[in-house]
Amino acid sequence: MQARHGQSSYRDRTDEFFGIVESLRRSIAPAAANNVPYGGGGGVKREDPRSAAANQSEFSKRAGLIGLAIHQTSQKLSKLAQLAKRSSVFDDPTREIQELTVVIKQEISGLNGALLDLQAVRNSHNDERNISRDTTTHSATVVDDLKNRLMDTTKEFKDVLTLRTENMKIQEDRMKKFSKISSKESANPFVRQRPLASKPSPSQPAPLPWANDSSSSSSSQIVPRRQGEAESSPLLQQSQQQQQQQMVPLQDTYMQSRAEALHNVESTIHELGNIFTQLATMVSQQGEIAIRIDQNMEDTLANVEGAQSQLARYLNSISSNRWLMIKIFFVLIAFLMVFLFFVA
Amino acid sequence: MKITALLVLKAAPETSDPVILANASDVSHFGYFQRSSVKEFVVFVGRTVASRTPPSQRQSVQHEEYKVHAYNRNGLCAVGFMDDHYPVRSAFSLLNQVIDEYQKSFGESWKSAKEDSTQPWPYLAEALTKFQDPAEADKLLKIQRELDETKIILHKTIDSVLARGEKLDSLVEKSSDLSMASQMFYKQAKKTNSCCTIL
Repeated sequence: MQARHGQSSYRDRTDEFFGIVESLRRSIAPAAANNVPYGGGGGVKREDPRSAAANQSEFSKRAGLIGLAIHQTSQKLSKLAQLAKRSSVFDDPTREIQELTVVIKQEISGLNGALLDLQAVRNSHNDERNISRDTTTHSATVVDDLKNRLMDTTKEFKDVLTLRTENMKIQEDRMKKFSKISSKESANPFVRQRPLASKPSPSQPAPLPWANDSSSSSSSQIVPRRQGEAESSPLLQQSQQQQQQQMVPLQDTYMQSRAEALHNVESTIHELGNIFTQLATMVSQQGEIAIRIDQNMEDTLANVEGAQSQLARYLNSISSNRWLMIKIFFVLIAFLMVFLFFVA
Repeated sequence: MKITALLVLKAAPETSDPVILANASDVSHFGYFQRSSVKEFVVFVGRTVASRTPPSQRQSVQHEEYKVHAYNRNGLCAVGFMDDHYPVRSAFSLLNQVIDEYQKSFGESWKSAKEDSTQPWPYLAEALTKFQDPAEADKLLKIQRELDETKIILHKTIDSVLARGEKLDSLVEKSSDLSMASQMFYKQAKKTNSCCTIL
């Protein structure tokens, strides 16, 4: 579509211009009314409404109206987006945001309907008369463009709503956190502290699920706190904010430090258990080694005993063998005698 | 790490000044002439902090070189003056204990107190001395400390067990060498014994 329009802007359209001048002359009042809203609403509208047909001018008039409405809606939407982004805990413009949201939604649905009507009108007109191809394409382009812009607006609207819900959730969380904690004065202990103002949401989650050694104190904290909230006087939200922001760290820190200490204790005990297990493993392994040593020693003992018995037997045999030795010596002496006989 | 003073007050949000129910302070480290002024200062700051602590809230205020911890429970408020090193958690658990003890010993009679009571409460005084060491007040700290000691002892044990293992390893090697040697000895003896037919 864009390319087409790009092309058409280069074409020579003098004849069309004359046709338009004629149609203008013919229907000055409606044409004037056509051009004004059409040109004002569609900043992107490049071509003059063509054809001398009154229904075409009506089409363009409606398209112009729709474009203008879309523009207005997008303006409102940007304002809404700003409000949603800006919203903090102070003077929450919920009401305005709600109103704006409702208005924008109505406008968008209205625009949707109008656009559909426009499209139906164009179709019916196309069916009724024999209009040139360019006219149909032009009207189709216009309708499509309006539809696109409406879609963009709707998408922006949805984004803004999402942003708004996120912000509200963040606020709610912060409020919940703040309402649980006592205030902390870091700088000036003599600033008069006020108790918390009554919160808009009556339900509070159960605070402090950590196991304290004084679990009764935590449960008793819930009851008096709720009473304190109900009784306390409403305050400037500003001072409350400051105190809340200071209250958060302290109670949080206290409870967190308790939880951390418990975690530490638990992990230490766990480590100790581990160490004991390792110790047991090592000792059992070493027990096995000791058994092996014992066996080795027993083997050694047996060997040495056997060797000792052998040696004893040997000794015995040596000592008992002396007769044999004497006999051998006699034989040796005999040989010596014979040897001597040979020499001498 | 020391506690300078412990106070128990009755904090009534409607009236302006909390009523002191018990007071114990340790001013021995101040000069003799400063002691009374320090005591008054303790009383005054304690009153102020207690009056500004909403019910069922804990609060810590830094005042000069002291940290003042306050815990308000149902109108009965315990305030402690500690120095900066005293762990916050132990301080609050100490205040918890003080309040429990007070409620146990005095029941509900404190609710009717209209003026500062001047009788000393011995528990508070001995608590002040006992809890100079933060581990006493905070069971978690005590447990953590004991566990750390145990862990150190266990580490030493494991080291000695490892050394024992090494020694046992060397022993096993030596014993296996010995058994080899004795086996050789036996074989040798048998060999010598077997071939002695001649000679």
